[in-house]
Amino acid sequence: MKKEKVQVRICVGTACFVQGGSDLLLYNDFVDPAIIAECEIEGCSCLETCKAGGEGAPYVQINGEVHGKVTQEEFARLLAEAVRKNA
Amino acid sequence: MNNVFIDVDYAQIYKHGQKIGGDVFLLSRNPESNQIVCTLSDGLGSGVKANVLASMTAHMAHKLSFSPISLSHSAEIIMNTLPVCKERKISYSTFTIADIHYKNDMENINVRLVEYDNPLSLRFRGTEKITWERERNELRREAAFKKEVVQYSTFDMEIGERLIMFSDGVAQSGLGKTLPLGWRNSGVEAFVTDLVSKQPDISSRELSAAIVQKANSLDGMCSKDDITAVVVYIRRPRKTVIVTGPPFSKESDEVLGEKIRAFDGRKIVSGGTTALIVSRLFNKKITVDLSCWSPDIPPASKMEGIDLVTEGMLTLSQVAKVLEDKTPPSTLPNSPVRKFVEILLDSDQIHFIVGTKINEAHQDPNIPVEIGIRRTIVGRLRAALENIYLKETSQEYL
Ligand code: FES
Repeated sequence: MKKEKVQVRICVGTACFVQGGSDLLLYNDFVDPAIIAECEIEGCSCLETCKAGGEGAPYVQINGEVHGKVTQEEFARLLAEAVRKNA
Repeated sequence: MNNVFIDVDYAQIYKHGQKIGGDVFLLSRNPESNQIVCTLSDGLGSGVKANVLASMTAHMAHKLSFSPISLSHSAEIIMNTLPVCKERKISYSTFTIADIHYKNDMENINVRLVEYDNPLSLRFRGTEKITWERERNELRREAAFKKEVVQYSTFDMEIGERLIMFSDGVAQSGLGKTLPLGWRNSGVEAFVTDLVSKQPDISSRELSAAIVQKANSLDGMCSKDDITAVVVYIRRPRKTVIVTGPPFSKESDEVLGEKIRAFDGRKIVSGGTTALIVSRLFNKKITVDLSCWSPDIPPASKMEGIDLVTEGMLTLSQVAKVLEDKTPPSTLPNSPVRKFVEILLDSDQIHFIVGTKINEAHQDPNIPVEIGIRRTIVGRLRAALENIYLKETSQEYL
C-alpha cells in the first residue's frame, strides 16, 4: 500500500504573503527534492490563525499542525522532520 | 442600472506609410439628452490635407447633430460648407452620421442615419442581414460636376442588432490585387455573417478590428487607403460583481451568499477571508493555483461557481494601478492581476460588494497602512473604471 504523503498548506493570505509567505512558495529552490516528493504541498487563502493571535505570520500547516513565523530554513527543517516521522 | 447596452467602437488602419488619417471617426455620448452621435468622415486623398478636411466635416456633423437643427438640414449645411475639389470636381470629404436616441430606460433605441458618399452601412439582426428604406436627396452644388446624393433613413434597433459603417478603404480593399472589384459591401457582409455565426456575442471592438484587419490583409498588409470600420451593437450589458471583505456581522454572511448566487454575470471574490466565507456558504472547495504568482501578487484560487478568486489588498491595489496607468492587459505577465483586469475591461457594469468587518490581521504594525484601507482602493477602482474606461459602477456595503 502506498503511504500517505505529508500534507502541507502554505498560507497565501495577505498578512502571511507580505510577511514571508511568498518566500516559502519558492520551496523548490531551497527544499531537498527528495523531501518535496514525499509531501503534498498546496496553498491556502487564509489559515485563519492570523486573526486568532498566533505567533505571527507567515503560517504553514503541516499534517494539521499550524506553525507560525516560518522562515525558509525553518520550513525546510519542518518538512524534513515531518517526512522522517511519516516514514 | 440599465438592462440594455449600446456598444459602440471602431478600428482604423492608416494608409500604408501615413502617420495621420484621412478617415476621422468621432463618438460622443451625451447622457443628459440620451443621445449618442457617431460620425465617420473620409477626406479626399490621405495624409494631412485629408485629415484636416475630414476632421472639419466630422466636427461640424457632430456639433449640428447635438443641436436642435434637423439632420437633413444639418447635412445640407455641411455640404454647402465643404469645398469642392477644383481639379476633380468632387467633394473634399464624405460622411456618415448615426444619431442615436434612446429613452431613459434604454428601450426604444432610434437611429437616424445620414450617408453621403461613403459605402452604404450594413445592418444585421444576429447573422441575418436587414434591409431598409432610405430616402434619397439630390443636391446640386455650383462647383460640383454631378448631382450629389445624400441618403437619410430612420429605424429602431433592438437587442442583438448591429449597425456597421465603414470607409471606402474597407469596401475597396483588395481592389486589383486579390480581388478584381475589391472586397465590396457584399464581401464585408459575408465576412460579418460568418464571424457573428462563430462568435454571436463578439464585441464592437473585436468585430471592427476583425473587419479592418481583413481589409488590410486583402490589401496585402499594405493598405492603399485609410481603413476604418465602426460597429454599433445593441446588447445586454455584461455585468461583473466584485466581492471584497468579510461582512460586518456573521448574520450578513447569508445575505452575501444570496447576493452572489442571484447575480447574473461574472463573479470575482477578492480576499482570503472573504473567499473562505464564500466557500463555506456554497460548500465548495478552494484550490490555490500555485503556478501563477509573483513576489508582489499572491496566487489566485479556483472555486466552482466563481470566475476568479484572488487575494485582497495587494491584488486590488495592483489592479487599480494598472487601470490608472492605462496599461493594456495584453502586456502584463500572466497573473491574477491580468485576469482581473481582463474581466473588468470586458464588462459594462461593475458592482462592488464591500464587506466592512475590520480585518484583525491587517492591524499588524508590520504591514503598511495603505493596504488596510479597502474603501480607498475600491474608490480608486471605481474612479478609474468610470473616468478612463467609461464603465458604469455601483457599490454597496455589507
Ligand atoms: S493570512 Fe495567513 S493565516 Fe490568515
